[in-house]
Amino acid sequence: MKVTAQPADTTLTLLLDGELDASSAVVLDTELNKPELLHYKRVLIDCQKLSYISSAGLGVFISHLQRLQDAKVKMVFFNMQEKVFNVFEILGLDSLMTIVTTEQEAQTA
Amino acid sequence: MPLFRHAAWLIILAAGCWLVLLLGTLSQGHSVLGLPANWPQWLLLLAQGGFAAGVFLYARMQPKPLVGHGFLPLLKRLFWRGLVLTILLVSVQALVQLAAARKLPLPGNATAAAGYTVSLALFIVLLAQMLYVWRALVSFRGSARLQREWLAFELLLGMVLLLQLFAWQTPDFLHIAVITGLGLFGIYLSGHQRWVAYLSQGQKAQAIMLQLSLLGFLTVFLLYLRGAQADAVIIAPPTQQAFLVLTAFFAVFYALAGLLVTLFNLPIADVYEQRRAEILSLQQLSQIIQRGQTAPEIYQALFTSAVQTIRADAAFLDAQLQPTELVSPLPAPLLHELTLADRTALKEQLVTLLSENQTELIDNDLARSQRLPGLSQPYGSMAMLPLRSLTHDYGVLVLLKKEQAGFDPEDLSILHTFTTQTVLSLENLQLAQEARVSQSAQDELRIAALVQERLIPKHLPTDNWFEIATYAQAAKEVGGDFYDFLHLPGQQLAVLIGDVSGKGVTAAFHTAQMKGIFHALMQPNPLAKKDRDRYPDPHRFMVLANEALTHCLERSSFITASFYLIDYEAGGFSFARAGHCHTLYYHSIKEEVSYFQSEGLGLGILRNASYGRHVKNQFWDYNPGDVMVIYTDGIPEARDGDGNEYGEDRLARMLGESFYQSAEEINQHIRRDVQEFSKGLPLHDDQTLLVIKFKASQPQA
Repeated sequence: MKVTAQPADTTLTLLLDGELDASSAVVLDTELNKPELLHYKRVLIDCQKLSYISSAGLGVFISHLQRLQDAKVKMVFFNMQEKVFNVFEILGLDSLMTIVTTEQEAQTA
Repeated sequence: MPLFRHAAWLIILAAGCWLVLLLGTLSQGHSVLGLPANWPQWLLLLAQGGFAAGVFLYARMQPKPLVGHGFLPLLKRLFWRGLVLTILLVSVQALVQLAAARKLPLPGNATAAAGYTVSLALFIVLLAQMLYVWRALVSFRGSARLQREWLAFELLLGMVLLLQLFAWQTPDFLHIAVITGLGLFGIYLSGHQRWVAYLSQGQKAQAIMLQLSLLGFLTVFLLYLRGAQADAVIIAPPTQQAFLVLTAFFAVFYALAGLLVTLFNLPIADVYEQRRAEILSLQQLSQIIQRGQTAPEIYQALFTSAVQTIRADAAFLDAQLQPTELVSPLPAPLLHELTLADRTALKEQLVTLLSENQTELIDNDLARSQRLPGLSQPYGSMAMLPLRSLTHDYGVLVLLKKEQAGFDPEDLSILHTFTTQTVLSLENLQLAQEARVSQSAQDELRIAALVQERLIPKHLPTDNWFEIATYAQAAKEVGGDFYDFLHLPGQQLAVLIGDVSGKGVTAAFHTAQMKGIFHALMQPNPLAKKDRDRYPDPHRFMVLANEALTHCLERSSFITASFYLIDYEAGGFSFARAGHCHTLYYHSIKEEVSYFQSEGLGLGILRNASYGRHVKNQFWDYNPGDVMVIYTDGIPEARDGDGNEYGEDRLARMLGESFYQSAEEINQHIRRDVQEFSKGLPLHDDQTLLVIKFKASQPQA
């Protein structure tokens, strides 16, 4: 699992590459825990290369959801593979988180 | 059993020869007991040689006299024998003198001749005894080569014995060469005095006394025999001179060499003793280690050994000084000839010293370097050894001596061996302790698994309206899956299934929590007006459970659950899904397998009142023959060797193949297929599978 951060003016894009399970969840958690994250308006999660997500991986997003919302930072997922989207959907997260298809949509959603 | 052992034959031979010799000596110039006078010389020489050979061979055949390191007992035994033989010699001489004084009516020189023969025999016996004690000492710790050399020495001595018989035939120069050679050989063998090194100082003094006494005995014999040779009264036949002289020479020389070696060894004996003490200390240390004692005992052993071996005037060992790893129980600092004030002063300075020096440090001139000021007594030299392994610090050992230059590299290497051994044993101890802790953690985990096992409902609800079959398997000792049933009054059955995020003990805790929440929420509400309102409907159940979990679930954890309230009087059920896997359903009228598509957010994700908007109550009327398959994601997410997932489609197909069978058979059909799919692989996630089959109503019995 590799997490690459691409900061822009008001947007931070995180590229996830690989399987997000209990062991790699720590990496992502460290990234999302950075205080400067709250200075952005948007945090975009590029899931194109995210091939698998476990409950521990979902837990990382869930634990940061409230914090980002409180800081008025919008977290948007895009480019999600169908299999991964199914996991979000079954858990009901699609009703709680913004999940879009393309990066353009993500920039404006 | 032979009539005589070989040794007995040798004694008979020796005794016979000696009798011949005695008679022959008595017959010099006279006729004794009717025998002819003046026996031929070769006969006397032969008898003498035979006697010597018998005595020496007999001594040679005795069991090895040296047992272990019992050098002193060996020497003492020889001393007593020598003493007895010397006393006998003196007594015989006294008798001869007495007989001469009394002028006994005996022919000529009979008494003197008999005395001489007896004394000669005593001398030969003494030499034989001594030779074979010397042999034991020479060959102590000797090589195989040395054994062969000794054998050669013996053979040469034997040859000299024979040579004497034909003395008149051998040329002089050969004779001299052989005798000189043997003498040199004896001197060479006398160099083998290894045994002396094994004596302590006290033993060495005793050994010197014993060797002096033995030399004294030999001197008495030699003086007498010399006198006897010159005595005109005894017309004795020529003795086996070369043999006896050579043997006596070797016996004297070896005793003398041993004496000198022992004498010169005395001043350096303490070095050997120190070495012995070191070895003993090391042994003691390793024994303590093998017994697996506590850390304080190991520290104490190191401290005592180091102080004794190095003979330090003062010493200090602190296990608490900068330890990176706590050994338990942690020993108190150890002090030797130091006050508590010294200890405080030392501690401060050692912290600085340790930060400067990563390894051992020797300071042989403390007066100049002023490394350790403020001690109650002046010390000249110091050795400091940190107890350190690659990863851990176990404290520091400091030894002090009053004199300057008190520590040499030799001391340091000994101390280094000690500390290395100590560090090793401390590490072993720690490993053993960790193993014990991990073992007890394993035991706790087994108990947790047992407790969790008890939480699983053992008695499945039975009724003639439905069948239930269950299967559950945790991936580790304890799991995060749970399910439960509860019969409610009014022909209702509550079914709960769920999955806590994560695995292992934390997840297992929350399953127990969920079970508690389930049973707490399913208590009848006494204020309810209608029966139907006594129990929360599935939507309300989820909202209440979510609220309850808000207070006890960490932020990154969540729980997925499905809750079903089956009313089999009405032939329908209501249910709510909170992020859990979709329910698989076989519709018997449509003859169709499908998943219930419904929305619902997992528990613990949204921790405020808005959660109620994210979960829905749904209703379904069932028909006899319908089958409901409820499971956790461990089933569809089971993997094969290539990492492929089992999938919901295959699960649905399995139900399509088996819906007509009993609930238990359907359950088995699915689970066998899942097991076949991930054959030989460890369970990736906990698996739970419930199959409920609705049946046509049957008359109650």
